[in-house]
Amino acid sequence: MVYKISYVITGGQYPGAIVNREAPPQLGEIVELGEKRFEVIEIADLIPPQGDFAFLHVTLQPIEEA
Amino acid sequence: MAERDDLLLPSELFVGLPEEKIRQIAAIGHLATFNTGDVIIEEKEPSNDLYIIQRGLVEVLVSSGVVPDVHGPPEPTPVVQLGRGQVFGEMGLVDQGARSATVRCLQDHTAILVVPREAFWRLCEADHQIGYVVMRNIARDLSFKLRHRNLRMLMET
Repeated sequence: MVYKISYVITGGQYPGAIVNREAPPQLGEIVELGEKRFEVIEIADLIPPQGDFAFLHVTLQPIEEA
Repeated sequence: MAERDDLLLPSELFVGLPEEKIRQIAAIGHLATFNTGDVIIEEKEPSNDLYIIQRGLVEVLVSSGVVPDVHGPPEPTPVVQLGRGQVFGEMGLVDQGARSATVRCLQDHTAILVVPREAFWRLCEADHQIGYVVMRNIARDLSFKLRHRNLRMLMET
């Protein structure tokens, strides 16, 4: 299965992203977009699956780097 | 050729097409590599090609006034990042209008399959199964992008 994901990021500072990945997202997972790191805080189906593709919405929260 | 097939098979754009027809599409494109900061397409320029990201990351930027309902400063502003398997340039493929956005590379060695519009249209005309399936998938991709934008706007309010 390929997971097409709409990443939306809290706070409005980052534009979000659309990517394909082979593994399903998990709550608490750390996602890297470019040079930035984010935590997955919400996962939802966006539209029904088609063929080998699942379409998901994921909300991310920026990680404050030390 | 094998690398192009690897690219096309996991792309949603070709869901529903048998492998031999995906190979036909791969055969009319070419792979291009970009590095961080490279501008791949620029808004307001004529549109000629469809782009499918094989690996890497790009960002889509728009300027205020180019897209009527997108507000912001006059300089290009990032609205979304696109990663592996994603498509851009599809609006120009469908409506032949000028580029609605600038797309800039965010990672070195980003590889993109570039499919010329005219050759792609000829293929669609010659094989209506390819034309129907790809246009249906482009419509779903545009719908997905609209949903993404709606959710992003909700997050910002």
